[in-house]
Amino acid sequence: MNENKGFFGKPGVQTIMASLICIVIGLFFGFLVLLLIHPQGAWDSIVTIILNFITRSSGPAKIKALGNTLVKTSPLLMCALSVCFCYKVGLFNIGAAGQYEAGAGIALFAALGWGLPWWVCLILAALAGALLGCISGALKAYRNVNEVISGIMLNWITLYLVNMILTKVKDPASPYTMPLQATNPKAVIPGVGLPAFFANNRYVTLAIPLAVIIAVAIWVVLNKTVFGYELRATGFNKEAARYAGMAEKKNIIVTLAIGGALAGIGAAFLFLTGYQQWTTTQTSVPGMGFNGIAATFLGGLNPIGTIFSSFFIQQITDGGALIDKAIYPSQISDLISALIVYLCGFTMFFRLIIANKLARKGGNK
Amino acid sequence: MQEPYAIEMLHITKRFPGIIANDDVTIQLRKGEIHALLGENGAGKSTLMSVLFGLYQAEEGEIRKDGKTVHINNPNDANELGIGMVHQHFKLVQCFSVLDNIILGAETVKNGFLQKDEARKKVLALSEKYGLQIDPDAKISDITVGMQQRTEILKMLYRDNEILIFDEPTAVLTPQEIEELMQIMKNLIAEGKSILFISHKLNEIMEVADRVSVLRKGKYIGTVNVADVDEAELSRMMVGRDVQLKVDKKDATPGDVILEVNGLTLASKEHKKNAVNNVSFNVRAGEIVCIAGIDGNGQTELVYSLTGLENPTSGSVKVCGRDITHESIRKRADLVAHIPEDRHKHGLVLDYPLEYNMILQRYYEPEFTSAAGFLKRKEIREYSDRLIQEYDVRSGQGSITITRAMSGGNQQKAIIAREIDRGLKFLIAVQPTRGLDVGAIENIHAQLVAERDKGCAILLVSLELSEVMNVSDRILVMYEGEIVGELDPKKTTTEELGLYMAGAKRDPQFQKGRG
Amino acid sequence: MLLLIQYTLMFASVLSLVALGGCYSEHSGVINLGLEGIMVMGALGGAMAMQFLGKAPVIVTIFVVMLAAVIVGMIYSCLLGFASIQFNADQTLVGTAMNMLATAAATIIARSFNTMKDPNNVSNTLQYIKQKRAFLVYFGRFEFNWFMVVAVIMLVVGYIVLYKTRFGLRLMACGENPQAADAVSINVYKMRWAGVLISGFLGGLGGIVYITAGVSEWKFEVGVAGFGFLALAVMIFGNLDSKVYNMMPYIISLIVLAFTSKNSAAPKAEGIPYDKSTR
Repeated sequence: MNENKGFFGKPGVQTIMASLICIVIGLFFGFLVLLLIHPQGAWDSIVTIILNFITRSSGPAKIKALGNTLVKTSPLLMCALSVCFCYKVGLFNIGAAGQYEAGAGIALFAALGWGLPWWVCLILAALAGALLGCISGALKAYRNVNEVISGIMLNWITLYLVNMILTKVKDPASPYTMPLQATNPKAVIPGVGLPAFFANNRYVTLAIPLAVIIAVAIWVVLNKTVFGYELRATGFNKEAARYAGMAEKKNIIVTLAIGGALAGIGAAFLFLTGYQQWTTTQTSVPGMGFNGIAATFLGGLNPIGTIFSSFFIQQITDGGALIDKAIYPSQISDLISALIVYLCGFTMFFRLIIANKLARKGGNK
Repeated sequence: MQEPYAIEMLHITKRFPGIIANDDVTIQLRKGEIHALLGENGAGKSTLMSVLFGLYQAEEGEIRKDGKTVHINNPNDANELGIGMVHQHFKLVQCFSVLDNIILGAETVKNGFLQKDEARKKVLALSEKYGLQIDPDAKISDITVGMQQRTEILKMLYRDNEILIFDEPTAVLTPQEIEELMQIMKNLIAEGKSILFISHKLNEIMEVADRVSVLRKGKYIGTVNVADVDEAELSRMMVGRDVQLKVDKKDATPGDVILEVNGLTLASKEHKKNAVNNVSFNVRAGEIVCIAGIDGNGQTELVYSLTGLENPTSGSVKVCGRDITHESIRKRADLVAHIPEDRHKHGLVLDYPLEYNMILQRYYEPEFTSAAGFLKRKEIREYSDRLIQEYDVRSGQGSITITRAMSGGNQQKAIIAREIDRGLKFLIAVQPTRGLDVGAIENIHAQLVAERDKGCAILLVSLELSEVMNVSDRILVMYEGEIVGELDPKKTTTEELGLYMAGAKRDPQFQKGRG
Repeated sequence: MLLLIQYTLMFASVLSLVALGGCYSEHSGVINLGLEGIMVMGALGGAMAMQFLGKAPVIVTIFVVMLAAVIVGMIYSCLLGFASIQFNADQTLVGTAMNMLATAAATIIARSFNTMKDPNNVSNTLQYIKQKRAFLVYFGRFEFNWFMVVAVIMLVVGYIVLYKTRFGLRLMACGENPQAADAVSINVYKMRWAGVLISGFLGGLGGIVYITAGVSEWKFEVGVAGFGFLALAVMIFGNLDSKVYNMMPYIISLIVLAFTSKNSAAPKAEGIPYDKSTR
């Protein structure tokens, strides 16, 4: 082992490099697809996808658009944290999407149906997500059902359940739930003066800084506390954790419950701003949970890294919505995200390449 | 005039990142001989055989068959040259039948369809010819280790291999089965096969081999005729110094009863019988009691029941007078120290730094955890540094070394340091020296004896007969989940112990079904 | 009632084809969570082939459409093989990515395909009303689909290959104990590739059967999940609230899993990348 490998020898830096490689390759493929569809506008479009809000015409419009991207980044970040937290304990929380749906369902029903204030809705959303996580966890711990399988099933079950519940608070004329601001202003997460910084974008709320704080908190819990010590030990080696007297089954359930709560809160962070309404006729699981997986792996499985990767994923997703839809399909961003997730499977390989390059450089000296 | 060698490995050098596993090693196998390859764990025997078998490629050196240079790039090449190998860890597919395992890779087919009838005839003929008892339709998971080994031997014979490699074949067998294997090996030689026999057990080599080549730390030490040397000389060649074959210890002075096991029973997960059946015994302060037996006779499950990894069906376990039968692992942590059988599976979180593994059994204690639930970094580092110092645990970067990067011996030392330092009155040590070299083994044995002399009650579970005979003060033999005899290591012989282990003998004191 | 039987048979064919595909991959030691994605791509390949064919003879249509679906499915499964066999990637992650990727890619391709034929058509729905007739045979009012026959044949062949041939024996050895297979000169990587490609073959076939069952056009935005079960549920429960019955298949599967998974014996080496150096 080489002791002194300098800046690029640090594992953290290598992780970032590997993620950047994934991004570059992902974008390159996206660009190729654009080229194939319509060569003339391809370059402009890929630039639009990457720059997103920066392409807006005026200063205030840029800031406002940035605000919108951030509004959607915070739920994505929460979903990513959910996946990331569970992955550290060796669990693949593909059920984040369903936990997100559950959070959205309860938060909106509490806000629109019961007229409760935002913070109660938020807590209820967390509980709903946690409950769903508990189901997956209990099935895994006591019935040996793979959490991926139960997660996928629960994603669908929850989708239709939430559709059913929210039909009761939907707008009579459309499939959307009633507008939040008009129906129950108390349920809107307070802006605490933040909109002023984003050209009066009233959707910019406390949710955004809260999400970042939660990300930091997750990092602290995982790395500095006894709880994190136990969870990571369980993730690395279940048997050794049991040998040391850690309650493995309890830890599985608690982990998925926390993961569920995080995803549930994520949904509340979006729907309680009033930015978006739930479509009660939707027949596909919202992409937020899956994009969360992308952000998790792109963020190098680090809660802090996830903050940046979530922003990036949301940035290109929003950017994708700005390209000329008459020529290019808007799914191009989904394609790039999915490609990036796929490429994240090769991270270890990329890191090996970087390490080998370094070793060769070191040898030449 | 060159002798007719069946196979020659000349000046073989094989490097792995950081180590030279084989450094200019030469061995020459004559036709029709049993040639032993002797060396400690980690001396490079298995690597050398993997090179011969085509699993690894050597950087330097050449392999010759019948005097001609050959290149062996994969097991297929080895097979075509008539080289077969019984691996130390059998390469058998558990859910396949014996027959399927034998034909796998060398199947007779017609239009892609398996033709098992011909294969069955050939296998049965071979099994008769060499006295290898098997049931071709039994599943591997249902048969004894001895039969699994016979399956492996038949795999080689089915492929008409002429050069047979046996990698540590006796580690899993009873003394009687070992006898049987020795006879089989002699039969094979009589039929014109040549055998390479890898072992670190001197008595077996003395008994069966014609010549022996010795490896030490990857280096070739020499080849001698077995008839010209004695065990002491061989062990000096193997270890490089005089070896204390006996463990230096005083007679035990047993004190109060520490462990009291009564009618302990645990249902098996694999078969319908009980894995542990109505077992009763005591261990007193200041004595080492050894559970001897062939692997898979309930020792592992007995330990699991004592440590809380499994919940016994019935019976009771008392330590220092407290009934802990159904207590959780955490609850009994103040009474039971446990050096586990498998250090990678249970003993260590390999991806954690060493310091985190040093506190694995105590991390939740106030010494290492603040009231708010945060880890106390400084205290953990100090504690770990102290253990590293006191127990001479060597690693690249001390406390912050990732445990995976440490050598097996030092990983085991870390576990032993952690468990002994808890200062408990009862210690369970399961195969504590497995896979370690002589130096490390001596060190660990000395530590166990030292703990005994301090008044600790030690339950040692071992498969190594020399360890059973030398370290323990009392021997309990387990067979099919029951204790079948209690022996005094000073009065018994390996042969007698073997009879108990094989279930051929049973102390009337331990009636079937009784305690 | 006739319709109900017809639909049940169709979806049973799909399920058995796809499950058989998963089985092959699993027995070779690779978990194929990307089956859904493979179905989408297979369906896309088949649907595009149908559009190209226009009015070709029945035999040609059946053959070409199946071939297209199967080839596209196999090509797409290479993504899994490449990542998980060659590069030891996390199989769960790759499978999930493949499902995400398939929906996005299929949508884009279907739309581009439409736009190519008619610049004003920006939908991602492919229609194949006429071509689909090639697959149908009527017995009275009972609509019989050639794919049911194909599914049954595949099941029988699949079983025989797995349990009666040399290939099957070797494939299963790679999933159970790759080290043992390697020691008798079986190329574990090759066998795993075979397992993954076969699952791509069957998944792709399942995809085209799925989208031709009951409907005559497919909107690629929705992937393949959910819809088929909806159709079945609606058939069974008539005009009751469809939302509850949408959930039913998943709830039932989950309950079944909860009672059967406790002692399920998956291949021992499933999901573990084979690394030659760990013997």
